[in-house]
Parts: sequence; structure tokens; C-alpha cells
Amino acid sequence: MLLRLPKGGPEQQAVDAGEIDAVVDYANSNVILLPAARRALREASRRAPAASRKAGDEASIANSVLSALPHEDYQRLLASLEPVTLKSGEVLHEPGVPIRYAYFPVDCVISLLTMMEGHPPLAVGLVGHEGMVGIPLALGIDVSSARALVQEPGTAMRMESAFFREELLRSKPLQEGLHRYKHALVGQIAQSVACNQFHPVQARLARYLLMTGDRARRKELRLTHEFLADMLGVRRAGVTLAALALQRRKLIEYSRGKVTLLDRRGLNALACVCYGIVKAMHDSAYRERGPRKRTAG
Amino acid sequence: MRRPPRKPKARAAALTTVVVLRLYVAGGAPNSLQAIANLEAICKEYLKDGHKLEIVDILEHPRRAMAEGVLVTPSLAKLSPLPAANLVGNLSDKAKVLLALGIKRAAAAA
Repeated sequence: MLLRLPKGGPEQQAVDAGEIDAVVDYANSNVILLPAARRALREASRRAPAASRKAGDEASIANSVLSALPHEDYQRLLASLEPVTLKSGEVLHEPGVPIRYAYFPVDCVISLLTMMEGHPPLAVGLVGHEGMVGIPLALGIDVSSARALVQEPGTAMRMESAFFREELLRSKPLQEGLHRYKHALVGQIAQSVACNQFHPVQARLARYLLMTGDRARRKELRLTHEFLADMLGVRRAGVTLAALALQRRKLIEYSRGKVTLLDRRGLNALACVCYGIVKAMHDSAYRERGPRKRTAG
Repeated sequence: MRRPPRKPKARAAALTTVVVLRLYVAGGAPNSLQAIANLEAICKEYLKDGHKLEIVDILEHPRRAMAEGVLVTPSLAKLSPLPAANLVGNLSDKAKVLLALGIKRAAAAA
């Protein structure tokens, strides 16, 4: 990564164990917060001043697939996982090209796009902290039929596909967790097919914004009308009109390619039922296991 | 002249030394909070006689952290009595912390 700690020393071990919040960068006279700590502090300052978080909360901030794992399995995976910052527009995998990394998003949002000749790419699914990018790997297949595009920037934990395959073989809980996520993802894509077919743009836009906001864990999203038009498979004018309608109702604020979600509940009321249906699918993927207690690190 | 017998209390005081600790943390980040909680519990249980705990937030005082050679946080430094010791991480391994603090297991309750 970025750290110049003595190799194999206690500091490196502690970092690998997830017990470290920050590192001092003497070269640049800087204190670097590790991603998990940065996120926790951001969440805390958003909720309440001087919030004291319990140890188990750290897991709930991260990625649901990873945090559902038993302690030993997660510790083992940590050895091959590295936190990366993904930028908007990065392509994580292309159709037909072997998938290089499995990504477990934390607060970034990835759009799964079907590439259609003669048409702009169409968003068929969204992946965030509830899941994983590169799911064909979990099926023993090393290519995808979709393009994975980073829509909202943020942090993800990534693992090389070779290591991922190894870890998958060794960890039954990881296999099971990914089975359940796969099921929810297929459900999400199937729901989108029907949604695209029947539901009006405004309702679909509200749903898309809510889904993105849930995964990005923030209210401000960087989305242009053009990008949204491509994602939703509609004309740009249609998006502009729908966005104006949402703005008039004070549900969003939209300026210069930045959307701010002002009223989640209002958006929920306007979104099509697909939002709730898909959310329930993803939630039940984790509810079945029941809450899992995991001490930090 | 017979010397008055030494008072037992005075002797105990001479043997007890105050343990001086400094814990470097990163604001209210998860591991830092855990380290604080763990350390306070250990001090309460094993260092009843006396301890001085200073918590330094390296987000507030980065230059101090650099001057004192901190690499990562949370990071515990035992300054006194000698030998000095260091321990990094969230201090959830009680045995390791006691070892770093120089607290003998025999003296420790359960």
C-alpha cells in the first residue's frame, strides 16, 4: 500500500489485523487516516458530536458480505484484501476480458452496464456495500458479460482473482454469503427489466437516485443528465424534465452535474415499488444469518 | 536509642511506583476508542495504586506525535517505570497489554 513500515514488524501486523486507525507519514509530515477510520469519523460527525462507537459497529460500516463472515474467515481474507480508492469513470471489468480483481465496495457505487451495439451502454444493476463486483468469479467463471463502471467514487476492498478463488474454496461462509448476494443481484436485474418496461421516468429516476445514495452512503452524488439518460435508457430531455419535477417538489437539488438528495422519504414515495422490492431482496440476504458479532480487527 | 518501628504504610508507599502511560489516538476512530476503553479497564483493575494516563490525539497534535516518533495509532507508550515499552493496536489482547505494562500475572486477579 502506501505505508513504509518495517516489514513484518508489530506495526505492519497491527495494520493487517485492522487494529490501526492512522499512520504517520514522516516523508510528507502528514497523518494518514486509514479508510475505515476516515469513514467512521465522517459518519460520527454526521450523526452526533463525539459519538462513541462500539467495537462491533466498525463491521457494520464496511461491506456486508465481508462483515457477515465469521471472525477467522475475515481475518484470513484480510491478508489478501487491500483498500483502494476508486475514481469515477474507472472500469473494473469489461465484457469478455478476464476479471482481474474482486471488489467489495465500501462507499463507492458501481454500475453494471450491458453494452449494446449502436446504443449507449445501459445500466442493468448497481453494486455497493451490499455486495461484490466480479461475481462471476464466485461461480468459477472468470469473465463477465457486463462492464463494471465506477459511478460514485469511494473506497473498496479488492482482492486478486487468483486469491479470491483460493479463499472461496476454503471458506464455506464466504460461498454461502455470495450465493445469497448473487440471488439478490439477479432479482435486482430482473426487477429492472420490468421496471424499464413499465414505469415512468420520474419514478425510475427517483429509484435510481435512492439506490445510488444508499450505496454511496452520502447525499451528494455526481451525476450529469446525460449520464443518467444513458443509465436509464431514456432521452436526455426526459431526464431533465423528471429531474426538474423532483427539484420542484424539493426532493433533490440539482446543479452543475451534482445531485443532492434532500428528502429521502419523499423520493421513496415517488419512486416505483421496485425500490422497496429490491431493497427487501438485499436486506433478506443478510437477515437470514442473523446479527453476527465481530470484534474489530 | 531505639529506632521507632517503621510504619508499614510508609514502606508500602516506597515500593509502589506510579505507572506513567501515554496513549496516542486518532480522534474518535473505532480502534482508538477501543484502545481507550480497554486501557481504562485495565488501569482500573490492575493499577489501582497509581497511574498517570495521558491521551494524545494525533489529529489535534500531529507535530507532537511526529516529535515523539509515533508510527501508527492507536499506540501505547509506557514511559515509567523503566524499561519503557510500546504496544500498537486496539489493546484488546489483555495479556499483551499487561506484559507491556510490566504487570506480573501473579499480582493480577483472575
